[in-house]
Amino acid sequence: MADLYSNNYLIVAIFFILGLALPIGALTAGRFLRPNNPIAEKRTTYESGMEPIGGSWVQFNVKYYIYALLFVVFDVETIFLYPWAVAYDQLGLFALVEMLIFVTLLVIGLIYAWKKKVLEWD
Amino acid sequence: MESRWGPLAQYDWSVMAPEFTILIVATLISVIDLLMPNHSNRRPLAWLGIVGSLLAGWFVLQNTGHGVVEILNGSYRVDAFGNVFKLIFLAGTIFTLLMSINYLNRGGVKEEEKVVDHGEFYYLTLTALLGSMIMSSSADAITLFVGLELLSISSYILVGTRKKHLLSNESAFKYVVSGSIASATVLYGISFLYGLTGTTNLFEMADRLGQAYMAGNALLIYIAFFLTFVGLSFKISSVPYHMWAPDVYQGAPTPITAFLSVVSKAAGFALIIRFFITAFRSVVDYNAANGPHSVLISELLLVVGILAAISMIVGNTLALRQTNIKRMMAYSSIAQAGYILVPFATLTSLIFEQTVFYLIAYLLMNMGAFAIIMIVTGDRETEDIRSFAGLYHRAPFLAIAMTFFLLSLAGIPISAGFFGKFYIFMSSLVMGNYWLAGIMIATSVVSYYYYFGIIRQMYMRPGETEAPLRVPAGIAVIVLIAFIGTVGVGIVPDSVLNFIHANFPLMDLIEAAGQ
Repeated sequence: MADLYSNNYLIVAIFFILGLALPIGALTAGRFLRPNNPIAEKRTTYESGMEPIGGSWVQFNVKYYIYALLFVVFDVETIFLYPWAVAYDQLGLFALVEMLIFVTLLVIGLIYAWKKKVLEWD
Repeated sequence: MESRWGPLAQYDWSVMAPEFTILIVATLISVIDLLMPNHSNRRPLAWLGIVGSLLAGWFVLQNTGHGVVEILNGSYRVDAFGNVFKLIFLAGTIFTLLMSINYLNRGGVKEEEKVVDHGEFYYLTLTALLGSMIMSSSADAITLFVGLELLSISSYILVGTRKKHLLSNESAFKYVVSGSIASATVLYGISFLYGLTGTTNLFEMADRLGQAYMAGNALLIYIAFFLTFVGLSFKISSVPYHMWAPDVYQGAPTPITAFLSVVSKAAGFALIIRFFITAFRSVVDYNAANGPHSVLISELLLVVGILAAISMIVGNTLALRQTNIKRMMAYSSIAQAGYILVPFATLTSLIFEQTVFYLIAYLLMNMGAFAIIMIVTGDRETEDIRSFAGLYHRAPFLAIAMTFFLLSLAGIPISAGFFGKFYIFMSSLVMGNYWLAGIMIATSVVSYYYYFGIIRQMYMRPGETEAPLRVPAGIAVIVLIAFIGTVGVGIVPDSVLNFIHANFPLMDLIEAAGQ
C-alpha cells in the first residue's frame, strides 16, 4: 500500500516536470525562431490599442481590490446556490430555510460594505 | 418517515442551541452597530454579547448529561468533553467583554492608541468564541479546521484593532503571517491522514489508520502526526510555534491578550486532545518485539513530551529578561502551555480531568491578572513592570489579589494553580516520566523569580505616585470572581476535580453517538 501511495505522486511529478518544461521550452524555441527588432513602440504599455498615458508602475486605488472582494460575496453565493438548486428535490424545505439564512448573512455583508462606504468611489 | 421538510429536518438541531445563540447575537450586534449613529456609545452592544454568552452557557448546561449526540454525520458532536470546554470559552469571553467595556471607554488615551471601531471589537470577539466552540465540538476534520480558521481570522483582526498604533499593526501582521503558515501546516498534515484513510470523519479515520499502519505506512502516519501537531501548537503557543506570542501579546489590546492567552489557548487544547486521541488511538504495532503496543503512547507522545519540556524551559527562561509586563506574561503563557501538555504527553487515565482542571485554574488566574495589568498599565501609561511599583499603597485589594494570581501562576500552595500543577506532576511521576516531572519542578522554581519580581514591585518599591487607584466596577467584579475562584479552587481542589469527574464523563470523547 505504501508503494501505491507513493506511485500516486508519480503523476504529480510528471505534471510538475511538464509544467516546468513547457514554458521553458516554448520561450527558448521562440528566442531562436523570432526576429530580433527592438523599437521604442514595443516597449510602451499595452492598453488595448489606446494611446498609453504614463507608465505601468503607478499606484492603484485600493478600492479596486475592495470591489473585487465584494464581487467574491456574490461569486461564492452562486457557487453554493447552484448545487443546492440542482439537489433541491431531495433536500426538502429545510434546505430552503438554510439557504435563506446563508443568503441573509451574505446580504448583511453587503449592508456592511454599503454602510462602510465601499460602494462610493470618492 | 419522509416529510416535505426533507431529511435534514430529522436531526436534533436543538443540541446546537449554544452555537446558534452566539451566531444570532453576533449577527444582531453587527447589524445594530451598522444602524447606530456614528458617535453613540457602543457599550450596550457588549452587554448584549454578555447576555448572549450567558444564555449560550445555559443551553450548554441543558445539553450536559444526555450522553453523546451527533448530527450531520459527525460534523457536529455534543459530548461532555466539548461541553466543559464550551463553558470555559464562554466564561473567558464574558471576562473579555467586561474588560473590553472598560478598555474601550477609558479616558485619557492617546489618539493613536484608540480602538477605532468599538462595535466590531465586540462582535469579532463573539465570532472568535463561535470558532472555538466549533473547534471543541466536532468529529470531522474539515469542520474542526473551519472552526480553527474562524477563531484565527477573528483574532487577527482583533489584534490589529488599534489601527493607528504602530505596534498593534506590526503584531497583527506577524500574527497573520505566522498563523497562515501554521494553518497550512495543519492542513498538510490532515491531507496525509485523508490520503491514508479516505475519510475526514475522526472515528472512521481511527478505524482505518490502524490498518494503514499495519500495511506499512508508518512513516506517513508519523509525518501526518507531526505536521498536524506542529501546526496546532501555534494555537496553544507552545514550542515549536511559540515565537509569535511575545510580539502579539504586547501589541494586542489588553483584553484581547487575555482572550488569546485563555480562550484561544483552551480551544487549541480541545482540538489537539480530541483530534489526536480520537484519530490515533487504534494505531497499534502488533509486530513489535515486546508484544503489541500503542504507537501513540510509546512513540508519538514521547516527542510531545519533549516539546512540552522545551516550552517550559524556553518560556520560563526568556521571561526572566522581560521588562514589559505583557511580554513577560506571553513567555509565562508559553511555559504554562508546556505544563498543560504534560497530561496529554503522559496520557494517564485522568488526562481530561487534569487538563480541564488546569485550564479552569488558568482561566481564573490569568483573567484576574490581565484585568489588573490592564488597569495598572492604563493608569501609568506604560507597560513596564515598574508601573506596578507601590501598588499596595495605591490599591491594597488589587495588590493582594494580584499577589494571589501570581502565586497561583507560579504554583505555590494554597492556590488553584498549585493543585493544577500538583496533579499533573503526580501523574507524570506515576507514569514513570521522571525527567518530565523533574523539568517541571526545575522550571517552576525558575519562574518564581519573575513572578516575585512583580510582587516585589508592588510591596517594596516606592511608586511615582501615592494617589489611590480608581478601579471601575466591571474590573472589580472580574478581579473579585477570579480571586474567589483561585482561592476557592485552591482550598477544595478535590471537590472540584470530583465534580468534573462526576458531571462530565469526559471519556465519552471516544464513544460513538447514541450510547
